[in-house]
Amino acid sequence: MDQKILMKNEIGKFYIELAEDYNFYAPVNEKGIITFKKVLNSGGIVLDYLNSKVPPKEILFPKMEVLFEYKLDGKEVEIEDRKDLNEKNIIFGIRPCDAHSFILLENFFGLGDTPDEIFLKKRQNTTLIGIGCNTPRTTCFCTSIEGHPFNKVDFDIFLVDLGEKYLLEAVSDKGRELVKKFSWLKDAKKDDLKQAERLSKEAEEAIVTKLDLSHIDKVLDPNFDHPIWKEISEICVGCGTCSFLCPTCTCFDVIDETNQYNNKGRRVRIWDTCQFCLYTLHTSGHNPRDSCIERCRNRIMHKFSYYPENYNVLGCVGCGRCVQLCPVNNDLRSIIQKINQIENKKKEAEKISA
Amino acid sequence: MPNPYIPVLTTVKSIVSENKVNDIKTIELEFKKEEDYNNFAYIPGQFAEISLIGKGECPIGIASSPTEEGSIKFTIKKMGEVTSGFHNCEIGDTVGVRGPCGNGWPIEDMKGKNIVVIGGGFAFSTLRSLVIYLLDETHRQDYKDITVIYGNRDSGEVLYRDVLEDWKKRNDINVVLTIDREEEGWIEKVGFVAPIVKEVGPSADNAVAVVCGPPIMIKTTIAVLEELKFTPEQILNSLEMRMKCGIGKCGRCNIGNKYVCVDGPVFSLAELKKLPSEY
Amino acid sequence: MGIETENQIIEKDMRDLALKLLTNHEVDVIIGYTKGTIPLSSSPIMITKPEEVDKLVWNNLCYVNLAKYLVPRIPQLVDPEKGNLKIGIIAKGCVGRALIHLAVENQIDLENIKIIGIPCNGIINRKKIEKEVGEKEILEVYASGDNIIVKGKNFEQKYAFDQYINELCKVCKVKTPPSIPDLMNSCMGECQEISSVEDSFSDLDEFEAKSSKEKWDYIKTTLETCTRCYACREACPMCYCNLCFVDQNKPVWFSKTTDLPDIIVFHLIRAMHLAGRCVACGACSSVCPMGIDLNLITRKLEKIVKERYNFTSGLNKEKLPPMMSFSMKDTEDFMLEED
Repeated sequence: MDQKILMKNEIGKFYIELAEDYNFYAPVNEKGIITFKKVLNSGGIVLDYLNSKVPPKEILFPKMEVLFEYKLDGKEVEIEDRKDLNEKNIIFGIRPCDAHSFILLENFFGLGDTPDEIFLKKRQNTTLIGIGCNTPRTTCFCTSIEGHPFNKVDFDIFLVDLGEKYLLEAVSDKGRELVKKFSWLKDAKKDDLKQAERLSKEAEEAIVTKLDLSHIDKVLDPNFDHPIWKEISEICVGCGTCSFLCPTCTCFDVIDETNQYNNKGRRVRIWDTCQFCLYTLHTSGHNPRDSCIERCRNRIMHKFSYYPENYNVLGCVGCGRCVQLCPVNNDLRSIIQKINQIENKKKEAEKISA
Repeated sequence: MPNPYIPVLTTVKSIVSENKVNDIKTIELEFKKEEDYNNFAYIPGQFAEISLIGKGECPIGIASSPTEEGSIKFTIKKMGEVTSGFHNCEIGDTVGVRGPCGNGWPIEDMKGKNIVVIGGGFAFSTLRSLVIYLLDETHRQDYKDITVIYGNRDSGEVLYRDVLEDWKKRNDINVVLTIDREEEGWIEKVGFVAPIVKEVGPSADNAVAVVCGPPIMIKTTIAVLEELKFTPEQILNSLEMRMKCGIGKCGRCNIGNKYVCVDGPVFSLAELKKLPSEY
Repeated sequence: MGIETENQIIEKDMRDLALKLLTNHEVDVIIGYTKGTIPLSSSPIMITKPEEVDKLVWNNLCYVNLAKYLVPRIPQLVDPEKGNLKIGIIAKGCVGRALIHLAVENQIDLENIKIIGIPCNGIINRKKIEKEVGEKEILEVYASGDNIIVKGKNFEQKYAFDQYINELCKVCKVKTPPSIPDLMNSCMGECQEISSVEDSFSDLDEFEAKSSKEKWDYIKTTLETCTRCYACREACPMCYCNLCFVDQNKPVWFSKTTDLPDIIVFHLIRAMHLAGRCVACGACSSVCPMGIDLNLITRKLEKIVKERYNFTSGLNKEKLPPMMSFSMKDTEDFMLEED
């Protein structure tokens, strides 16, 4: 049977057996902030949390990542590739929205003739073990993007917090293989499954933010030059908070860093964002997105129009981090509502003038 | 599959200054390993990400044609840190190359058509690649009339003089050179590119126009081509954008749902009109 | 009187003044704060019509320094026909100080600006409250009596207002904007005549008593979660440079990675660039998504500037800040000091 029970005091045992072969990443509380870190013991693991500030994309797509290292010797150059991409990872205890973000990241990094092998290799070697959201936040809107607080389809193994214990379910083949190792896990009982279902329903009902995203790209595309973008971007200050803390944003910059004393160096990529004014600045001085209006608009268009055009799925997971953390409270939910109302206002104006 | 960010290594074979003020140089690179050279199969219009390892990487259009075997050439204007680094290169230095990137000129679709090549200033580099390719004896018969109109601010800025001389000697290509203002000793045409295009008046019948240059030149030239009845599908443009990774991953060159480094840099005017005007 | 009563009075006076200014067309736009869409937040707002004045609020969560909106890279508050718009700005003390300092640095023209002064009673320390509440969702925050009430689904907590406002607010000496002697018409509402402040900086005693190693460890642990999002820089009215030093590439001065040395260098150099200019509004700390408290560094710099140059920024439109001026009387013995 695929559904087992993991007692809360068995997490340590679970961890010890996995930590031998895997880099084990889990949510921990560091200085009052929940972060995903590679843990060296199970003591610090926190599963009863709202959500992290920095999304778990950070584990496979870190803020700073070495692309390759090099040695300079006169006119000669020696390049050294990454050697750690075959290490196996477990990402433990993430939310369904964040798990869905990994699907969106895979879509993006895998597209085209030159996929990003660095991310994809790590992703292939990573097992996702997630946990359902018993208490979604008022800013969560995963159900508006066809998600669900108990959506397990993007996981390998899925946990549900039943109080004293977790319901543990193997979802994918990878998950099933892994669960086989834990022969000491007891089978779940009917009551456990019933309780999980009840929690799932309660969680769904607890989602209060409901955005109408069904036709968002149809509203966005013809309204590229609409004056509403000026209103939407009025208070934006152009920092990188929304992009950096978005589970699906992937833009990066590339820098060479050389140690002048030993002529060794590395080419690294660091997180970048279309919200910075330098992002599209040409060397000639021309900047296609010169003001906040264009940059703010670009982010919304990218998530809700351009990404869906390429991949047939919305580029947002409904985690609500941008809503929680924007320095000026430029609420994405209000932005979507304003955009949806463009068509309604147009129709009203037509009725009045008719 | 290999790490797509690691360049293959080449050696600088020659560096030639292309203009009087000496801020545009053509650098010729030889692949250190033959298999890397064989794997670098490119078509005119593509670009590559070339790096001075330790300084940085930048996207430069490939100026050589694939028919010029043995090495590849890039024409680089000195603008920032990395390009200045290239200008200070010496023969024998190591340069990293990643590519070829982008879609290139549609040389298959252009077969059987009259080609009008219009370039302005420093943007002529991938047009050099295209014209040399078209003129090559293995392909020349696949294409009909070839007209080249190349404009510059002054005579000191004209690139690839040796190649232009060769073209002028041929009778299967019409080469028109122009500079903005009269100059002593200049016997070619005088005037901005757009009015010269109007003067030459290429027929739009079964033709493709390839336009590369600074934004103002492109704008005025396209206006003239439209007057000459060229349709948006017949006008091709190589888009300049801020690029970093060259493989559609860093996001810089993203316009609409396209990435200029992968879906471009060559776009027809018809395709450009469908994109948001953020370029 | 309780905090909420104070807030009601401030709000009413502010709205009355805003209504008058918009109705009489003395201003084209008023920049103020409106209620946030999530608890523990507020949002800047720009209103142009008299009927919108009820959107303006004052609720101890107005942490953004509105002076920032007067120095964008691309001018926004401009009408194609009218030219520069006449601006009204809701100003707590530090916003007023920022406006004066920006005028000293020739970034804004105070003649076009009406400063709607309000007597700030403190900004709630969002990150401190979030950390104390932990992993439970906060649904409501409001002031009551001398306390801040924080409510969630299954909890209600009370925090002493004086303890849970920003550290900078606790020692603030300029709660209402300074008036500008030769521009008396531009300061409305509550403004004060103030030319200098007395400050013992006793809040720094604990930090200053630390050893060098302890201070360095403090700086490292404070800054290590920085993601280089630059929310602090974008929220700061004094960071208006067209090209920030970290973004320069001819030459590249400092790296932009999240390695600890790179992070430390960014924050310390930015702090140095703010010496004698920072108006101690605390916006940088309030907006940081990682809850990094930059206030201590800010405060220490303010103390050094006060001690060496007897200068406090943003009080006097005529006085040049120390880093922009030179006097033969400037003491230089600090160069010979041993720390």
